[in-house]
Amino acid sequence: MMIRLLRGVYGIWLREVMRAMRDRGQMVGGISRPLIWLLVLGIGLNPYFRGEVYGEVRFVVPYTYVQFLFPAVIILNIMYTSILFAVSVIWDRQFGFLREVLVSPMPSWLVLFGKILGGSTVATMHGSIVLILARFADITFTVTQGLTAIGLMFLLSFGLTSFGVILANRVRSFEGFGVFSNTIILPLYFTSSSIFPLDPALSRSQTSVVYPEWLVMAIQVNPITYAVDSLRGVLLGFNQFPAHIGPAVMGTMAVVFFIIALWDFRRP
Amino acid sequence: MVKYAVEVKNLSCNIGGTQALDTIDLAIAEGESFAVLGPNGAGKTTLINILCTLQKPDTGSVRIAEIDALTRPAAARATIGVVFQDSSLDDRLSVIENLEFHGLVYGMPKRERIAQINHLLELVELEKWGDSVVRQLSGGMRRRLEIARALMHGPKLLFLDEPTTGLDTQTRMKIWGYLEHLRRETGLTLLVTTHYLEEMEGCSRILILDHGKRVAEGTPAELKAAHGENLLRIMPRDDAVASDITAAFPHIRHLPDGELVLPMRDDAEIRAFMANYGHRLSRVETQTSSLASVFISLTGQDLRDNTQKKTGPDIRRMGRT
Repeated sequence: MMIRLLRGVYGIWLREVMRAMRDRGQMVGGISRPLIWLLVLGIGLNPYFRGEVYGEVRFVVPYTYVQFLFPAVIILNIMYTSILFAVSVIWDRQFGFLREVLVSPMPSWLVLFGKILGGSTVATMHGSIVLILARFADITFTVTQGLTAIGLMFLLSFGLTSFGVILANRVRSFEGFGVFSNTIILPLYFTSSSIFPLDPALSRSQTSVVYPEWLVMAIQVNPITYAVDSLRGVLLGFNQFPAHIGPAVMGTMAVVFFIIALWDFRRP
Repeated sequence: MVKYAVEVKNLSCNIGGTQALDTIDLAIAEGESFAVLGPNGAGKTTLINILCTLQKPDTGSVRIAEIDALTRPAAARATIGVVFQDSSLDDRLSVIENLEFHGLVYGMPKRERIAQINHLLELVELEKWGDSVVRQLSGGMRRRLEIARALMHGPKLLFLDEPTTGLDTQTRMKIWGYLEHLRRETGLTLLVTTHYLEEMEGCSRILILDHGKRVAEGTPAELKAAHGENLLRIMPRDDAVASDITAAFPHIRHLPDGELVLPMRDDAEIRAFMANYGHRLSRVETQTSSLASVFISLTGQDLRDNTQKKTGPDIRRMGRT
């Protein structure tokens, strides 16, 4: 019985991965997006990412801008792939494929689990593609660091893919979807301390002087902040927050979002 | 003792305020080919949805292959194959990949999957197309693939919701050929909804539904004997003629497209009618006792309204709507 169900999950997972591999548009996006962010924005802002103390030039954080940005671009790539996974869910519903699975003996939670697992795998692959560009960003990492990073990427992907499924249950048409990139993905990304640091040398009151209070608040409540921070910790060894918060936040997202997605899915 | 593939008692289901199914009883023996017939919105699809456990009824019991489908839906689902009204194939995957996916989801081991895929591709004559992406296939080929897919896991029962709608006659014949072959060879039970009369003639029994209620049930011969009439179908030239005729024959039936239907005892009666009104009609057609006339008699609707009449412009009708 167990092995039968595992085959089912494998089948659903495999279908998601195969579909993604054949979707050339998605693949192109997954490669061109990090290239633009790193090569254009990263290199363009690189010279401005430093402060002057007593006439001595130093970086605001002890890294170049491209290095600082690199982990955030990985997260951006994962966010796009995971959240736009909702399109695949809507597609299945629209074109009737969902029913094919629903009349099978597979329990519905395993159907959903297999599907989200597939989506997370694709998102993790898109995140890992960025690692190939590490040389351009002047980042070196060991195999252990790389694998840890991929593990964290998967954890985040699982949570965000579940989030995408939750969105799909609330948005019933394809048309509504272009909006997502501008109303969800980019705002979350920009307020995650991804493209600018909260200077760790400053105290909380000093930070509030440099940045408006609302922005600091937005960054602190944004779960993506901790995902970016955690990946920076692994790849650069630089954390703005205690290192354990990131995995804890991502783990919570994965569990909570999956449960909500399942709740939605079971409701007819 | 007869083994029942489907046993439904006192089934009712209300969808959004309308009674989609009203106290339906149904018993289909193993190896039967059973047709459900009814105008659009009669509750055919709701019935199929309940039988394949996609929908829960308000009241009543459902047994599929002697398993209670309401308390053990997963076990019941393992015994059925379903071909839906609209395609549910993944059109980005190849023919073999679609079948392979189905096999995996039903938990079949690899050797069994390969054997079944080869066997079924041969059955529906798609061997040469195994590696083609579904998007490239024609409508008829897709349907054949869907039937093959529904049979992958060796179901005892096959539900087909309008499996041949929109296909050419040759393809329809082919599909029925496969299904009949399987029914004879393996004792597969078929439950079909369809609009095509010639397909129903071959079925062992027919259930006619209208507004969620059971209107009639029986073998094609029984239905024809009990409800069949000789009908005269006429299209009046204008509304004045229509109201004249309606006044003279109060029991006349009106079809949605403006056609009038009159039951006729014999040719003499037809001749008498034609002598009076023949010159004021734009179209006349007689219909001898057939499943089509049974259907019109019982539901007041023409079967062909649902399908063939959609094609071709009808100027009179266009003016009215």
